[in-house]
Amino acid sequence: MGSLFQKLAFQVFPYIALTVFVVGHGYRYYADFYQWNSRSSELIDRDSLKVGITMFHWGIIFTFFGHFFGLLTPQDFLNKLGITSEIHEFVALYTGMLFGTMAFVGLLILLKRRLLKPRVHAASSTNDVIVLILLVFVVFVGTYNSYVKRFDVLYTIAPWIRGIVTLTPDQSLMNPVPWSYKIHILLALTLLGFSPFTRLVHIWSIPVTYFLRPYISFRRRFVDIP
Amino acid sequence: MKIKAQISMVMNLDKCLGCHTCSIPCKQVWTNRQGAEYMWLNNVETKPGIGYPKKWENQEIHKGGWLGNDKDLRLRSGGRLKKFAGIFHNPDLPRIDDYYEPWTYDYELLVSSPAGQRQPTARPKSSITGRHIEIDWGPNWEDDLAGANETALDDVNFSGLEKEVYLKFKDVFMFYLPRICEHCLNPACVASCPSGALYKRDEDGIVLVDQERCRGWRYCVSGCPYKKVYFNWAKGRSEKCVFCYPRIESGLPTLCAHSCVGRIRYIGVILYDADKIKPAASTSNDQEVYKAHLEIMLNPHDADVVFEARAQGIPETFLIAAQKSPVYKLAVEWGLAFPPHPEFRTLPMVWYVPPLSPLIAGWEGSETDIAKSDFMRIPFKYLANLLSAGEETPIRFALKRLMALRKWMRSLRVDHKPNYQTLDEAGITGPMADEMYRILAIAKHDDRFVIPTTKRADSENMYNDRGTLGFPTKS
Ligand code: HEM
Ligand code: SF4
Ligand code: SF4
Repeated sequence: MGSLFQKLAFQVFPYIALTVFVVGHGYRYYADFYQWNSRSSELIDRDSLKVGITMFHWGIIFTFFGHFFGLLTPQDFLNKLGITSEIHEFVALYTGMLFGTMAFVGLLILLKRRLLKPRVHAASSTNDVIVLILLVFVVFVGTYNSYVKRFDVLYTIAPWIRGIVTLTPDQSLMNPVPWSYKIHILLALTLLGFSPFTRLVHIWSIPVTYFLRPYISFRRRFVDIP
Repeated sequence: MKIKAQISMVMNLDKCLGCHTCSIPCKQVWTNRQGAEYMWLNNVETKPGIGYPKKWENQEIHKGGWLGNDKDLRLRSGGRLKKFAGIFHNPDLPRIDDYYEPWTYDYELLVSSPAGQRQPTARPKSSITGRHIEIDWGPNWEDDLAGANETALDDVNFSGLEKEVYLKFKDVFMFYLPRICEHCLNPACVASCPSGALYKRDEDGIVLVDQERCRGWRYCVSGCPYKKVYFNWAKGRSEKCVFCYPRIESGLPTLCAHSCVGRIRYIGVILYDADKIKPAASTSNDQEVYKAHLEIMLNPHDADVVFEARAQGIPETFLIAAQKSPVYKLAVEWGLAFPPHPEFRTLPMVWYVPPLSPLIAGWEGSETDIAKSDFMRIPFKYLANLLSAGEETPIRFALKRLMALRKWMRSLRVDHKPNYQTLDEAGITGPMADEMYRILAIAKHDDRFVIPTTKRADSENMYNDRGTLGFPTKS
């Protein structure tokens, strides 16, 4: 069974977060498209940006893909491909350590820059700072887990997440999971729900169409000139 | 043949006073907002100098524009894949200090200070941080050659010249260079934008940033070799010169052109063949790009061109305007105007008539044949580096014509003995001289600006639409 807290946290809250995530993005896109961007601060302080932003993004993007495929693909399916749970765990832990550390160090550099570089600080909103701090927490706890806790998630958290996605949530799977993992999950869900109202919307605008369009674009202002 | 129409401009540098009147209405209408303080969509530079932003002409540093070798045309800063992979940090973006850190003054103190021994002062403070700053660079720091003995050593237009000589007081020269976005035919800013937010308007060629689709990847800023896209640091979006399109659509000149005290600016329509853009821009020899650019422009008096243009849906108003275009006359018919830095290969459409200048100090010879000697203060080579990739012949030809026109008018008005020889030598006919005089010297409003109105099919009530165009001010 599980406590009321556990039900709220792992059965109700994920859906609240996901709903806010989807509806929030829709709302932002239509109500506030002028601010749908990454709020780049490179112009006002270019030199302090390079290392932190690059480490953070490559780290977080690989971590993102790791979570996506690692958790959503059922282990039974991987077994058929010859990827045993040992291999899976090994890869997950070590890539997690590598990219998690990259993202974490990058974030610390970015946070320091955002707070201490006068121009960047002046051009920041509170929201920008909150996003960074939230990310620091999420990434810190996640990376800490991969270094220290090393809990086997393949038959606990992974099926729970798949249950969420397939609308058959089973919070009892979360019973044996250590607190540091639970905190990571709850923080990450919070970030997910908060993200539509932040600069993080830029993630969904990766400009892949750049590869498809011709270099020079023409557009008509008045469609039917006689 | 794919015919398109382009609203374009010519500036006659011979008459620019460097008064900056052009910059003021532009600033007041388009960039008087937070995040845009440092943007001068129209700015006036003193040449020689490194300009705004610093060294914008030096593409070794800024990596703007295109590289071409007949077969191939590439962005100098790298292709799609490189941009995509490096999107988190654009290594070619100028720093705000290359423009200048925008500032204001503590004006408040002038009235609120308590009575005391000394006058209160208004110290400068940064518009970004609000802190007091020392000002050591500004939007027009090199005005009238201020400090040019040091900064202008880095002016790329001195290439092939002994710059030290020209920065000595005895031999120094200067002229003004007002600059706006070139509304290029092959715009590198548009090509550099990963989201496709920048576009060229099909009907008049004006290049715009779609403010709803700009995601702030900031590649257009570094891609433009003229550094005429600016990044709004407060909003995280790019903004650029809009060629005052709401005015142009109503047949009015841009604010910079309308307010120009020297009456140096001309606006008109050019018809061009869009199919030839790529071959022209990829011409491998830098010095031949200008010629290739001229060849793209179509003769609006040619019956075939007119027929084809009508068939392709160019509105009648644009055709008529193209035939009366002062830009076509100055750039194509008379060969007096040139594109700045054609070697950047964006095929810019704001051209310049090079300035005449006095005889150089201590000029002994009586030889003033432009083809043979360098007797003007502004070295022909310098102008050629700026306007024709270093090829002096067309620049000398244009200056010869301008000189001939002056001599001719003097012979009429002062000597009362028409000197036909001077016109003949410059290949100018009598009627042509009259028209040149009317357009260049008298420069009446209607001769400078021939702008077709655009039919606004989407607008039911123009009165309700007023004030809705331009940059979004809220959010
Ligand atoms: C998927 C492709 C992504 C692209 C193309 C991208 C691109 C960018 C760019 C261009 C900036 C602005 C840097 C600057 O000039 O100041 C930025 C900032 C930022 N991005 Fe991303 N990003 C991506 C994914 C992500 C992801 C997955 C996250 C986090 C979950 C993220 C979080 C951030 C944050 C927090 C900043 C602000 C950093 C600062 O404090 O300056 N991005 N991103
Ligand atoms: S001059 Fe204008 S149109 Fe040309 S590349 Fe620069 S911003 Fe684009
Ligand atoms: S208003 Fe005209 S004359 Fe004055 S600086 Fe501008 S372009 Fe030159």
